[in-house]
This record gives sequence, structure tokens and C-alpha cells, in this order.
Amino acid sequence: MELNLASPKWNVERPFLTGRFHQETKIPNATSGPRPFSLESLSRGSENVIGSYPVSVQELLIIDDLLSALVGIEGRYISIKRVRGKEGRVIFQIDPSMDLALQELIQRLFPLCEAYVLVSWFVETKSHFGSGLVNHALAAAMRALLLDYQAMVAQLEHQFRLGRLSVQGLWFFCQPMMAALHALSIVIEKASSGNLFGSATLNLLQSQAKAMAGDTTVRALLEKMTRSASSPYLSILERWVYEGIIDDPHGEFFIAENKSLQKESLTIDYDAKYWQQRYSLKDDIPSFLRSAAGMILTTGKYLNVMRECGHNVQVPPSENSKLTSFGSDHHYLECVKIAYDFASCELLNIVKEKYGLIGKLRSMKRYFLLDQGDFLVHFMDIAMEELVKRPEDISVEKLQSLLDLALRSTAAAADPCHEELTCCVERVSLLRKLSTLKDLGSSFHAPPSKTALDIGDLPELVNINGIETFSLSYKVQWPLSLVISRKALTKYQLIFQLLFRCKHVERQLCVAWQVHQGFRSCNILGTTILRSSNLCRSMLKFINSLLHYLTFEVLEPNWHLMHDRLQTVKSIDEVIQLHDCFLQKCLKECLLLLPQLVKKVEKLKSICLQYAASIQLLVPSIYIPDVVDAADSYTFRLGKSKERRPNGRSRALKSAEENPIFSDSIMKFENDFNVELQSLRPILSSGSQTEPYLTRLVQCILGVGSDQ
Amino acid sequence: MPREIITIQVGQCGNQIGMEFWKQLCVEHGIGPDGLLEDFATQGGDRKDVFFYQADDQHYIPRALLMDLEPRVINQIQNGEYRNLYNHENIFLSDHGGGAGNNWASGYHQGEQVVDDIMDMVDREADGSDSLEGFVLCHSIAGGTGSGMGSYLLETLNDRYSKKLVQTYSVFPNQMETSDVVVQPYNSLLTLKRLTLNADCVVVLDNTALNRIAVERLHLANPTFKETNSLVSTVMSASTTTLRYPGYMNNDLVGLLASLIPTPRCHFLMTGYTPLTVERQVNVIRKTTVLDVMRRLLQTKNIMVSSYARTKEASQAKYISILNIIQGEVDPTQVHESLQRIRERKLVNFIEWGPASIQVALSRKSPYVQTTHRVSGLMLANHTSIRHLFSRCLGQYEKLRKKQAFLDNYRKFPMFADNDLSEFDESREIIESLVDEYKACESPDYIKWGMENSEKALTSEGSLAGSLDSKLTL
Repeated sequence: MELNLASPKWNVERPFLTGRFHQETKIPNATSGPRPFSLESLSRGSENVIGSYPVSVQELLIIDDLLSALVGIEGRYISIKRVRGKEGRVIFQIDPSMDLALQELIQRLFPLCEAYVLVSWFVETKSHFGSGLVNHALAAAMRALLLDYQAMVAQLEHQFRLGRLSVQGLWFFCQPMMAALHALSIVIEKASSGNLFGSATLNLLQSQAKAMAGDTTVRALLEKMTRSASSPYLSILERWVYEGIIDDPHGEFFIAENKSLQKESLTIDYDAKYWQQRYSLKDDIPSFLRSAAGMILTTGKYLNVMRECGHNVQVPPSENSKLTSFGSDHHYLECVKIAYDFASCELLNIVKEKYGLIGKLRSMKRYFLLDQGDFLVHFMDIAMEELVKRPEDISVEKLQSLLDLALRSTAAAADPCHEELTCCVERVSLLRKLSTLKDLGSSFHAPPSKTALDIGDLPELVNINGIETFSLSYKVQWPLSLVISRKALTKYQLIFQLLFRCKHVERQLCVAWQVHQGFRSCNILGTTILRSSNLCRSMLKFINSLLHYLTFEVLEPNWHLMHDRLQTVKSIDEVIQLHDCFLQKCLKECLLLLPQLVKKVEKLKSICLQYAASIQLLVPSIYIPDVVDAADSYTFRLGKSKERRPNGRSRALKSAEENPIFSDSIMKFENDFNVELQSLRPILSSGSQTEPYLTRLVQCILGVGSDQ
Repeated sequence: MPREIITIQVGQCGNQIGMEFWKQLCVEHGIGPDGLLEDFATQGGDRKDVFFYQADDQHYIPRALLMDLEPRVINQIQNGEYRNLYNHENIFLSDHGGGAGNNWASGYHQGEQVVDDIMDMVDREADGSDSLEGFVLCHSIAGGTGSGMGSYLLETLNDRYSKKLVQTYSVFPNQMETSDVVVQPYNSLLTLKRLTLNADCVVVLDNTALNRIAVERLHLANPTFKETNSLVSTVMSASTTTLRYPGYMNNDLVGLLASLIPTPRCHFLMTGYTPLTVERQVNVIRKTTVLDVMRRLLQTKNIMVSSYARTKEASQAKYISILNIIQGEVDPTQVHESLQRIRERKLVNFIEWGPASIQVALSRKSPYVQTTHRVSGLMLANHTSIRHLFSRCLGQYEKLRKKQAFLDNYRKFPMFADNDLSEFDESREIIESLVDEYKACESPDYIKWGMENSEKALTSEGSLAGSLDSKLTL
């Protein structure tokens, strides 16, 4: 930090203008130049050795010296030695020629002197601007104490001048200060050895105060120190929990802000970490805040979100909301709690009321989960021509306008959110997409070598069309993008694609069904047509049951559950969590996380599609004579209504019977479909032991006891 | 305005039930008798455009065609509360207003005469819709206009709009009491032929059963036509809720029907509805759960068709498919539980030749109609016992035919001119084959019925199919 600031050279060389020790610690080898205060002053032999005086004189002399030593000044008979390697540490030494009893007494006072030196060293160094607000505050508090101490020394000196002070008296008067400075020196020792900073200093003070619990005065002192030291910290905290602003020039606060994470990333980046990592907890949290750290973090986060939305929200101040101390009454925790409650409540309100979260979720459900599927029916009606093209050839603009048209002309028109819906055509199909999304928790990646091969096997790139890659997208605005993030949207899209494919299959089968309806006029008992229409029915049944399972057994109950819980949530984090939970559960129960099953179901769907396509092609080609006949008979019958068609039909039917292509292909489809469907059973029943929802799927698509 | 449905109501009965149906739809969508949206009808989410379109002055007009050969019922509509609802261009009344005299042949012949007029109306209405899904025909099969002219319409629609669906709500005559229409068996038979050949789906509404339900379930001593018709309109409106209040599934008519109708001819559906109420009755409030509703729907006494089966035959009757449309506030988990319970209790006897289960469609209830029950349900079922209804029609026809009674009335018209009664024979043949087909459905090997040569195809399938595959995957 010092290097960043342009300061004159002397500032570096002599950072302290007060207290000589610091100068010396900084320039230990400055042997040249004036050395007014030499450490090696034992050689000052001009005086008489103290031992030559009588004991009573020795006492007077030494008290005089001692009074200087108490404020860290060398005397005639007391010398100071610096301890190498330990900054601020000094050792006092006494002239050994002194009376032994006196020496003994004097030496007991030396720890006080040493402690004073240490404390004043600490005060000076930590007042330096780089030491952080907590250390500054601590140093200031200590400085105040030192002032008391100096006043005491002055008093003692006064007494001494009056001739009332003996060594014993001195010893007696110094007692209270001795304990205090000793305790401080222990703190300083630890603080400087660990070069503690910010919250670590606070932690140290607190633990030290606790450790000294037996000694009330020391404890009170340390608590006072803690209080003073933490007051700047608390004001940082105050701004954070009341305004959501980090005002922390020295980086002491336990919450870090990562400005590189932008909120816009939520709507773009699948792996956006904005919400998790924009603000995060650091490692060192003051112990008195540890229990509330999470709450404090979220409080500020919430306030921040509101600020980002352009709401200047502040926690309303009340008379005792000032965070003055963190005493044992836990007042500060209450304040934090109040602030948290306010912030989460306010944010939730804004998100729910102003930005209409529930409504948005509802419209997500409507469009992506096909809660009101009528718009899709219409969209498929008008867009099918475009959708069957290859993804590269599809005009997204055209699809978009068709989608808008479909939305405007169906029940969706009543939804104010329908304009947020856009459509997109991706390049890859659902299966492939699933395999590329790594963190869905699917087993797509379990044995990497094998699945990679499997996915590679799929010949989808050859005949992939818009139906398989069509998807919807939704424009989500800022505070809501916290909930409906890119990731959540992707999950919605996956479910949508699944449903969309199912709907497409259903539609195609319905067309095939309508082809069969043309055979009403003939007795089809025992013909391939009957077989075919039964196959069509089985397929329809399968796809309908699958859709029923997906919608009524998975999406709707889960949505209901989420919706009910959303009514009682307390914070946006809960909302996010509930919503994520809902999506994950849906994905899982929609089988999207079980690649083996997805592939099976996709296979079945493609058989259905092939069947539907062949029926639409084969039947008209086989029954051409009949079509002509029908067209004829209409014009005919107006005049002569007795022209009967069944004869023509049954003739055609007979020819169909003889047509081996038709009956064989129906047989083949029937066989393929049944084999594939039955092969689902073992997979599902083996899976249902761990995943109970698979049992419901079995009941839906295979029926119970139909084959067992 | 996608997937529109045009309703055609023919004859006295057809117009009466049609009128009730439109009244019901208007109430459910919050549309006033003059076609204007009521002030309270602000909640969106419903699809009015399937059955209505909006005129230039914003009022809703039903996609309905009203046809009759006598003016009585239509006059009643034109003087009634809802007189301004309908498009007056869509009302067809024959010039002479003499009716069809309960004679199918007369109705059919008159239909032929005015085909240009009525098809003009149909075409105009069809052109006015974006992507027409199909037609719904309301009529009775016993009288003259609904059966005869309805039959003619069915054939014509089938030819001209072969790609569109045709669904009918057909009222079958009350066979418990002697009818004033003595030729009812003839009319029924001839209409049934058209219903078999020219409709995609027939919802059978049996007046016998409707009367029984009115007496037994609603405790009305002598149910009037108005009351039984309100039952019909309830069924009609409930069966279209998934189209009008879109949900996850069954948002188009074809999807609804395709899942119910397995083979082209077996397209006769029975209905059941619960809980039933009529307007003036003080409602008995009872607890309705999904299970209750589903269970009650399966009880024969709630089904609006009487099948006259003998017990032995009845026990063999099987459900081919069931769709339950459940309306109201339903907890979706209840549906699963109810289905499971019904499965466990084996309350339903399904066919054995294919997969079958109860399908459920959940639908919202109209927010504008206050009901005392929370859940209501409609069952649309394809049940083989319906063949007994047809058998009975055949039996009555045989009786009459043996006596050669009343045939002169028919001989007056071209179709039966020169004593050519082959139309009767042919109709009988077709109904018989229909009965046979339903009977075959009760057998587990329905699919392979008469398919001896298929076995041989099965064995050689491997080699043949392989060579075909390339051809099929176009």
C-alpha cells in the first residue's frame, strides 16, 4: 500500500517522527550520524557506579532512573537492550553493582517498562495508514490508555520530588497499570507475530478477553479495547446491512465484492455465478458475527438488488438501530435480524408485486410446460411447413412471426407476458443437448467412454429437422433473472422440447387416425386396416399416456407444490431454491436425466412417426381407385343417389389385402413397436426400486397387469 | 382463430338441444343473450373463438347453422331471449314450412332439394374460419327432419369436407313408451347407417336413459323435454371444455376423438355426467372428490345410454376406452390416487386386445358459473354394450318390416321408388355388421378376427420387412 502512494523519500526512511524506537527498528544499521540515544550506553562511565553509594542514596538514584525507564527512557543505571528479531521488544538491564535487594525490587518493575515500550511501539506502527481501521482504532484506544499511564508516571514523579516516594511505594502504585499493560502486551505479542489485521485483530481481542475472564479489571480493559477496535468495523457493517454498500477502504470487512460479475450475465451465461459469487464471505469472520455472517451477507445482497432495480431502499432507522457495540446483550444481532427481515421482505415484495414473479412463472408454465397448449396446436398448424426443414434452412424470423400470430389468436392473448416469448432453432437435438449439459446431474456422463460412443452413434445429424430442434425462449428482465436464470430457462427449454416432440408425434398419429377413418364404409374385420388402426391406437395410447404422465403426474403436481410453497416464502433465496428444486425434480421425473430411457422413448417416438408417415403415404397410394370413385360419386349422386360406394371400397380393400407391401410394413411396425415398448418394462421396473416415480410411468404407459 | 367448430342443428330436437347448448356456452363464457360480453367477464384464459366469432360491433356470434323444415322451434328461438345471438343468415327454414312428417325419406328428399341453399350456408361459415376443425351435428334419429335431412347433410359434408371431422350428438328415441312416431324404427335404422358410415364420432344420447336419470337421479316425476335437454346441453358443453378452456392435453377435437375411437366404425360414444342438477332444483350439497366423481361416472345408472343387455351379455361387455373430463379445483395428485384405486378395485372391465386405461383430462371450470360442488366430471366412453341398443333398433325394425307396415310413405320418395327397398336392406346389413364388430371387440382376438393368412405373413416378416424398410423411411 505504501508503494502505491507517492511519498517523499524521507517518509520511507523515517516513517515515524515520534518515539525513537521505531526509527531504530527501521534503520537498525544506521551507525553513522548523530546518535543521541545510544543503546550501548553502559559504557557511560563518567558517573560513579551506583554500588558506591549507600543503599538509601541508591534508592533515590534508582527511583529517578526508574521514572524515566517507565516512559522508555534510558537512565544512568538502567539501560535498554533491543531484542534482536523481535520488533518492539526491549530488555531493561540494571547496573549490577547495585544493592541486591534493591535490584530485585527494581527488576520486578521492568516488565512494566518493557510493556510500555512494546505498547507504544504498537501504537505508533499501527497508526500507520496501511494498518486498517480496526488497528487504527485499537491503537487509538491504547494511546488513550498510555496517556493515563504517563499521567500516572508524572504523578509519581511529583510524589518523588516531594520526597514521598519509595521503591516500595512505586511498586505499589504501579500495580494496576502493570496488569493492564501486561495483558495488552500479550495481545500485542500475538497480534504482531501474526501480523493480524481487521477481523483477525477483533477475534484475538475477544478470545483474549474471554481467556482473562477470571481477572475482572483486565477483562474490562480488554473488552473496552475490543469495543473501541470494533466500532469502525461496526460502521462498515452498518452501511452494509442498512444500505447494501461496502465502505471498506482497507479490505477488512468479511464480505468481498467481485465487480467483474455483471448482473446481465444471468440472462446470457448458462453458468452465471452472479448471485453466488458477486458477494461472498471471506475466510476470516469476526467470531462475534460468525453466527450471523450468512444473514449479513444476504441482507446486503438483497439491498443491493433493490438498488440495482433503481429502488433506493434503506432500512428505516429507529432509535436503537444504531450498531454501537456487540456486547453480550446481542443487540447487534437483533439489529441485523431486523435489517435482514426488512430487506428480504422488501425484496420479495418488489419481485412479487412490482415485477410479478408468480405471473411470470405462470406464463413460463403456460408456454414451456404447455399448461394451456392451445397456442401450440395453432402454431404447429401454421408453422409445420417451416419446421420440417433442416435447422439451417429455417427462417427464425418467419417462425417468430408465426408464433406471434399463434399467441395473439389463442387464449394466450390474454396473458400480458406473451410478448416476451421468442422462438429459437437450435442446431442439435434434445438428446445431444442433454449430453452436452454437464451439470444437470444426469447419468449421461457416468461412463464417459461408452456414452460418448452412444451419442456418436445416433445418426441424427443426417436427417435432423426443425421439429427436433425447435425451442422457445423468454426475455427475462433483471431482478427476475435471479430466479429465471439462463440455467433455469435451459431446463424449461429441455422440458418444452420433450413435450413438443410428443405433441408432434401425437399430431402425426392423429392424421394417421383420420386416414383410417376413411374406411368406415367397409367391413374391415380381419383386414390389415383393422390391424393398422389398432396399432395406431396403441401408439396414440402410448404417446397420450406418456403426455399424461409428463403433465399430470410430473409437471402439474410439482408445480402445485412449488406454487403453494411460494406463498409462504420469506426471501428470494428461498424462491430461487424452490424454483431450482422444482425444475430439477421435473427434469428428473420427465426422464431427461436417464439417458437410457430417453433413448428408448425417442426410439418409440420415431417408430410412431415413421408409421404415421407411411400410413399417410401408403394408404392413399393403395386406394387411389377409391378416391377417384369418391370424387365421382359426389358429382354423380346429386342426380342419382343410389350410386353406392361400398362396392368400390371393398374391391379396393381386397386389393389392399393382396398388397403385400402394406400388410408387411404394418406387421413390421407392429412388431418393432411392441418389442421396443416391452423392452421398456425391465428397464423401468429395475429403475423403479430407486426411483418411485418410474412405477407411475409403468402404470401409465404399460398398464398394470396387462401382460404380467 | 384456429381449430374452429361449426355446429349444425337440424330438426325440432336438434334445434332444441342446440339452443340449450348455446345458452350454456354463453353463460360459461360470460356472454349476454345479445352476444355482448358481460361486464364481469374479464378473466381471460378461455377460448371463445372455437365456437363463436366476433362481429364488427364486438358481439359474439355462434358458429351455428339452424335448419328445420317446419318453423315452430326456430320461431320460438327467434322470439326468445337469445334471438339476437344468432346470425340470421344462418337460419334455414323450408319455404313451405310443412316439415317432414316424421318421414325419413321426406326429410332426406327435401334435403336433396335444398342442397344448394344449405351448402351455401355451410361454405360461407367454413370460409369464415381460419382452420376449420370440423362439424358438430345435433339431431334426433327418430323424427323426419333431424334424421332424414341430417342424414343427407352427413353424406354431403363427408363428401365435400372429407378432411374435416364430423361429430354428431344424436338423440335416440325413448323406447320405453310408445311413441307417437310409428315409423321411428325405420327412421332410426336409416339414420344409423349414415351415422356409421359418414360420421367420425357419434355421441349417443338415449332419451330412455335421459328420462330415467331425470326421474331417478333428479327426482322429477314427469321430466319435460326442456329438462332432459338441459342434461344434453350439460353433456355437450362439458365434452367441449378441453377445447374452450385449454389445458395440457386434448386441445383439439381430433386428439380428443382419436384416443377414444379405436377403429373407424366403433365410433359410438356413451356419456355420463355427475353431479347432475337442473336449474330450478335446490341443490343438495355433497362432497365431491375426484375419486367420488370417477366412481360415480362408472355406475351404469349415471350413464346416458340404456343398453338393454341381458345380464349374461352385460357381464361380457367391455370398455374400449374411457376419457374422463374432470372440471373444477382438482389436486392433481388425487387423480393418480383415484385411478389407482379404481384399478385395484377392478371397477372397469377393459378389452383384452389392446392397451386400455382411463384417460383423464383436467379442465378449468367457468369462473362465471357458480356451483355448489367443487368437482364435476364427464365420462366419454366407448363401450361394447352399445351394440344392444343397435340390436334393439334392428329388432324393432324387423318387427315392422315383417308386417310391411307404413312402407307406402317411403315409396313416395325417389330413393324408394319402384318398390325398391334395397336401402332398408343395406342399412340393416351395415348395422348388423356394426353390431358384429362391437361383439368382436369383446373377444380377445379381435385383431386377428378372420386373419388366418396373417400368420404366414408373420413368419416371413423378417426378410420382407428388411427389404421394405428403406422404402418406408422416406
